[in-house]
Amino acid sequence: MNSEKPESPAEPGKAASAENFILTEQLRYSYKKAPPDWKLNQMDLAIQGNEYFLIAGPSGSGKSTLCRTFNGLIPHFYGGLLEGRVQVGGRNTAEWTVGDFFSQVGMVFQNPESQLFNRTVENELAFGLESLGIPRQEMKRRVPNTAQKLGITHLLNRDPHSLSGGEQQLASIAAMLCLKPKVLVLDEPYANLDPAHVGRVRKALRNIHGRGTGIIIAEHRMNYTAPDAGRMILVDQGRIKEDGPPSFLLTSKNADRFGLTLGWKAENPRVADRPLPGNSNERNRTPVLTAEDITYKVGGRMVLDRIRFAIHRGESVAVLGANGAGKTTLLKHLNGLVRPAKGRIRLLGESIRNRKVSQLARQVGMAFQNPAGQFFKLTVQEEILAGPRAMDCLDEAWIEEIIRLFELVPLLNRSPFRLSGGEKKRVAFAAALAAKPDILVMDEPTAGQDGHFRSSLGGLLSEIRSRGRTVIFATHDLAFAAENSPRWLVMQEGRIVRDDSPETILPDIRFLEKVGLHETVRK
Amino acid sequence: MLDPRTKLILVIHYAVLVVASGRLPSLATEWAVLIGFILIMRRLKAYGRWLRLVLPMALFFGAVTAWSAGAPAGILAGLKLLTLTTAFFAFFAVTLPEDLGNALVKMGLPYSAAFVTTTAMQFVPVIGRKARGVIAAQQARGIPLEPGLYALRHYPAFLAPLLLQAFQLAEELAEALEARGFGRPGRSFYKEYRLRARDWIVMGIGAAVTAAVLMSPFRL
Repeated sequence: MNSEKPESPAEPGKAASAENFILTEQLRYSYKKAPPDWKLNQMDLAIQGNEYFLIAGPSGSGKSTLCRTFNGLIPHFYGGLLEGRVQVGGRNTAEWTVGDFFSQVGMVFQNPESQLFNRTVENELAFGLESLGIPRQEMKRRVPNTAQKLGITHLLNRDPHSLSGGEQQLASIAAMLCLKPKVLVLDEPYANLDPAHVGRVRKALRNIHGRGTGIIIAEHRMNYTAPDAGRMILVDQGRIKEDGPPSFLLTSKNADRFGLTLGWKAENPRVADRPLPGNSNERNRTPVLTAEDITYKVGGRMVLDRIRFAIHRGESVAVLGANGAGKTTLLKHLNGLVRPAKGRIRLLGESIRNRKVSQLARQVGMAFQNPAGQFFKLTVQEEILAGPRAMDCLDEAWIEEIIRLFELVPLLNRSPFRLSGGEKKRVAFAAALAAKPDILVMDEPTAGQDGHFRSSLGGLLSEIRSRGRTVIFATHDLAFAAENSPRWLVMQEGRIVRDDSPETILPDIRFLEKVGLHETVRK
Repeated sequence: MLDPRTKLILVIHYAVLVVASGRLPSLATEWAVLIGFILIMRRLKAYGRWLRLVLPMALFFGAVTAWSAGAPAGILAGLKLLTLTTAFFAFFAVTLPEDLGNALVKMGLPYSAAFVTTTAMQFVPVIGRKARGVIAAQQARGIPLEPGLYALRHYPAFLAPLLLQAFQLAEELAEALEARGFGRPGRSFYKEYRLRARDWIVMGIGAAVTAAVLMSPFRL
């Protein structure tokens, strides 16, 4: 990439001289017209065109909603009720269309899958330029230039849907940057990225900012965003509660109050705040789960390479690794969703080879990353009961217990589709546990979730373990793994390269960088 | 390379010939020519996969015709359907959907209509992935969606989450499109589509051949 050094984030004093690019006055917004349910409330905000600006707050606080007012998607695309005023580049967004703002305020959404819709990355970059009616000659110059700036020239001919999460994020950013916007708005850009990819995207954003484009990020992962930002606001229930430099606002009190994730920092390896139940006391008994030299290939590529481990009752095991290391494939072996080419899985000593997935669900409950992929009943209660009913193993006392444990009592009669992201996850975990399985397996349980959710999930996991269940989860969230499991299986390119405690692994930064679990520190 | 419009016109000519053919040898020859072309383009493997989908359809169509109009007519009908669809397979083997879409826009089709068709194809694999995800998630909590009759009883567990995700995807896509200026008047094109001399020549040859064959005393 370019050797040009990024400028330091704009300081508040220096920025004050620049003019306000985005201005909101007494902004109130509700998605529903009647009765109004204000998602944004009395917001007064002025953002200069060259700031690196961070919008932080818990899930559902209105971060995404606020971002969508900056390019007119609110109110033009969403309808609803907007009071007060949003002014962008001196123009009232209510009086102009999204098409008038999109080239000035580049918007990068959370889900790359749905915002990349062209056949190649090159066409993706060209799409916005075509909309603007830019002459072909100019397009042929801008597309390769932008790709080069972001270091994605080698991806130009690829299908965007075949890229890794980080590459998709860079392609989405490039597609906007091509338009030479005044500011770039990003809604939780790091939600699904591993630390190594986060590092690439962060570096790209710092460079873009250094060249004079403003950056606005909505996030709750402070460790990835706060060091780069010059100014941040803390939002809760649609109101701006604090406004100032991150170094000043990032106190642990604010982190708790606003559900921020401070993340794990190399400088102060703070493992588990509360004592963790140890894993070692049952080592001598028969393990609940063993993997014996599991090997799995797709199209000649080794996805899993001679995986072996034994897990005992009541253990909590975290499977860590970068995107594409084979974590999800490994988890899918544990309940037979994927069958190994070689080797075998034993459950309580017995091979699972000849058993169906839906039978194994009685012993291994599995919850995937996206809970929307499984809801089909009209109420939360029905949803939780669906599995046990299909398997004919309904234990009412147990169901009541997990409903209480996951704090689902007030949600029982609501539609699972209408819950918040964190609530959906809780329902999905409860559904995975409904058949009273010995083992609970979770894929990226904290992806896209704020600090409030993470700490309550941590408490739940130890409750589940104290009831004799075993917990296994895959993640690249080091902080969560360190606080919730005393045993880490670290994967790289289909192999388990380390099976150890976080206390031993965390201080080894070199190792973490090598396996893509730590942002590469290279200036 | 030829302009996508030229290729489209050629395949339409070919389709006319196939439809006009009423004898087994001519249809067989037409099919063989197409297979030869696919072989040259090195797409035989993809053709084999695609054939496995189309063959049952052609057999069914042929069987229905045979039942109502006799065996010879049935064989002809089945083969005709197969050759006709193969012609379009060959066309798409050498034409990107987006090129076709853009070319049609140049011919006067509204941009949004062309966009819908090409983007729909782009999202087939995405929906396929989601469908597999739904099946995995339901099996993992004990709802038997393994292939078989028993799975039919549980089809809402498959269909509801899939449809819901498809709608959500559509919503997000619409928003992303809006944010990239979709539907703004005065759109320009990144790729250039121009009918060159060779396009006109090829189109002329195609038209001459079709007309000659159709008008000749030789019965197709």
